[in-house]
Amino acid sequence: MPSDIQPAASQLEQLEQALVQKIKTGDVELPLLPQAASKVMALASDPNADAAKLSALIHQDQALAAHVLRIANSPAYMPRSPVVSLQHAVAMLGITLLSEIAFTASLKTGAFKVPGYEDDVKQLWRHSLASGAFAKEVARMRRVNVESAYLCGLLHAIGKPVVLRTATTLASQQRIALEKPVLSGWMAGYHTEVGSMIADKWGLPKQVAVAIQYYGDYDHATEFRQECLLTCVANRLASHLLTPDEMPEDTLRDHSVFAELNLYPQDIDTLLLTKDQVLTIVNAMNL
Amino acid sequence: MSTPSTYDIIVIGAGPAGQKAAVQGAKAGKRVALIERERGIGGSCVYRGTIPSKTLRESALQLDRLKRAGEVFQFSLKPDMHIATLLSRLEQVVQAHDSFMSQQLRRNGISLLHGRAHFLNDHTIEMQTVDGAQQQLTAGTIVVGTGSRPRSPQEIPVDHEHILDSDSLLSMMYLPQSLTVIGGGVIGCEYASIFALLGVEVTLIDRAPYPLQFMDRELVDQFVQGLEQCGSHYRGECQITQVRWDQVAHVLTTLHDGTVVKSEKMLVALGRQANIEDLGLEAAGVTVSDKGLIPVNQYCQTNIEHIYAVGDMVSGPALASKAMEQGRRAVRHALNLPVGDAASTIPLGIYTIPEMASIGLDEKSARERYKDPLIGRAKFEEVARAQISGASHGLLKMVADPDGDRLLGVQIVGDSATELVHLGQLALQSSATVESFIDNVFNFPTYAETYRIAALDILGQVAKRRAAKAA
Ligand SMILES: Cc1cc2nc3c(=O)[nH]c(=O)nc-3n(C[C@H](O)[C@H](O)[C@H](O)COP(=O)(O)OP(=O)(O)OC[C@H]3O[C@@H](n4cnc5c(N)ncnc54)[C@H](O)[C@@H]3O)c2cc1C
Repeated sequence: MPSDIQPAASQLEQLEQALVQKIKTGDVELPLLPQAASKVMALASDPNADAAKLSALIHQDQALAAHVLRIANSPAYMPRSPVVSLQHAVAMLGITLLSEIAFTASLKTGAFKVPGYEDDVKQLWRHSLASGAFAKEVARMRRVNVESAYLCGLLHAIGKPVVLRTATTLASQQRIALEKPVLSGWMAGYHTEVGSMIADKWGLPKQVAVAIQYYGDYDHATEFRQECLLTCVANRLASHLLTPDEMPEDTLRDHSVFAELNLYPQDIDTLLLTKDQVLTIVNAMNL
Repeated sequence: MSTPSTYDIIVIGAGPAGQKAAVQGAKAGKRVALIERERGIGGSCVYRGTIPSKTLRESALQLDRLKRAGEVFQFSLKPDMHIATLLSRLEQVVQAHDSFMSQQLRRNGISLLHGRAHFLNDHTIEMQTVDGAQQQLTAGTIVVGTGSRPRSPQEIPVDHEHILDSDSLLSMMYLPQSLTVIGGGVIGCEYASIFALLGVEVTLIDRAPYPLQFMDRELVDQFVQGLEQCGSHYRGECQITQVRWDQVAHVLTTLHDGTVVKSEKMLVALGRQANIEDLGLEAAGVTVSDKGLIPVNQYCQTNIEHIYAVGDMVSGPALASKAMEQGRRAVRHALNLPVGDAASTIPLGIYTIPEMASIGLDEKSARERYKDPLIGRAKFEEVARAQISGASHGLLKMVADPDGDRLLGVQIVGDSATELVHLGQLALQSSATVESFIDNVFNFPTYAETYRIAALDILGQVAKRRAAKAA
């Protein structure tokens, strides 16, 4: 358990260095792609997939099955009568949404857990979901394919919980208490590097890997610049939605990424109109 | 608001039409402003049309060549090919094109402005920049070339995810296993044949009995055969009653006879819609047709004589080549410069696989106009060049007057058709005789030899006709 004593500046520096060292040498425990998620995702790209096969798969994972039913019955999907059968839920929600549900549900378990920081991790996932949903809206507006935009938005900050886990583990080993701003700073600073390692390990599509690495630094992306720009906008919109104090509307708009993506002020207005819809999607996942 | 900037010519839209209009104006020594709402110049031609589709096509052709050589070189394709890999050269191509075009505009002293333009009145344009600022401009002549976008029919739920249009198709992540293409026009047919060659099972659906209605039937038949050889199909005379994503893995297309076509993705290619909504045309008094196009005369003048409309926003064909010619033509007319009569000899190039091209009259229209025109045919299998390339499917048709004297038109299907047609174009423009194709020496081996073979075919028919008459 971390001690209550405020760490000295030098202690913090040492800790940060240890964290950097771990990242540099790849000595970070990278999560495995959650099993249920990978299976559902594989089925999602199988042209012979059908609702029956999918529900069979979900049946095998009790936690996932419960999650799917809860979401199918949530106000976001407004079923006319309660959905009690998994097959019905599968048919109603669709395979793409199910792979999203499977993915997010699996993230909650196992490798991404950070004891003592459950709420923070939950906020990270909510942010990811909101970014994914906004990325779809931005992609539709720019008339580009929404599939890749969604994945880029959803996964852009996948490194954050891993940085959080690594940093807090180190801190507890060294009996140092860490404050939120310090942790947030480290997550912001180091998540792209860790995210890239995860993208590599999971074999994510190239554009997703590039977006993870360059969404905040799109000028340095040598390819898939459009995906990086879309992700950057989606990330900002998600922050505005979920933490409006940190990202008020003026701050949100005051960024060159909108001009880079050729989004005019009216286009931003239109995107902001989707806030409620995105929030419903995020809440429906009930993380 | 500060006083408006004054120009001789304002051009709205930096697609092929607008660019050529601007360059023509500047070359005549006029002060020209070119307004473009996107960051890059080039219009749908560069970003979502001609260049990307041709880049994908080139990759498909290269892969096909490699596949065919695979038996010798032991080459095989990865099963889950990413579209991005196939388009990897696109960014380079677009960048090279972009910098070349910007240089051209800069060299000619054109003011390139980035913003969305609309009319305040028939001489004044207001432009909003991407940061929200407004600017006013006035000019004696205004050329509108704001192009077009894919038409989304209300009854088909294009979601850019499973049901795509020609814009979003290019950012698809993986090659689907199956694709339904709705619309047998140029874009539908081009993409259908590209994806079919890439190994996707394509179903091309249209109302008409055969696709590309405006092309010579014999050429189109070869295209359909090509599609079928790749394991894809054309379904003609089909009305679509419903399109929906089954929420699981397929797009389901229900046809009027109850058949359901199942595919992983769908491309909707049901024509284009002019970008006119945000232009405030009513403030300038410019008339718009029921079809949402701007009616113009042969010089591209709208009903307001100093306002011209060019390119995709006036009636078809929606081709970059036509758009450029109209841009040039409009400005020359506005400046009282000789316009020339190029319109009758605009060639058609369709980059299906195999590609097709046409210039002048085809067999059908020649029969309507002349009682008994002569048609010369040369099959590609007859020339060594095609045999060497392994592209022996192809046909060149030469259309001549009933005496076999004057060339009236040329239609070609097969490798290099879009290049080869220009030889026919020059011949038509210089009123060359059919015989002149025999008098000339062509390189060997070339596809151009097909011209000589077709000309010989015509002269052979002339001899037969004469003999029959004499008998
Ligand atoms: C998939 C596909 C393949 C094609 N293949 C070929 C081919 O092989 N050969 C061929 O010849 N043609 C081809 N075409 C057609 C060709 O792309 C078009 O005919 C051509 O681009 C039309 O040029 P344009 O200048 O009229 O319009 P566009 O190229 O559409 O340009 C219009 C420009 O106006 C801008 N604009 C719109 N509104 C405003 C505004 N309010 N203010 C400022 N700017 C504005 C737009 O951003 C755009 O840049 C293809 C098209 C597609 C979609």
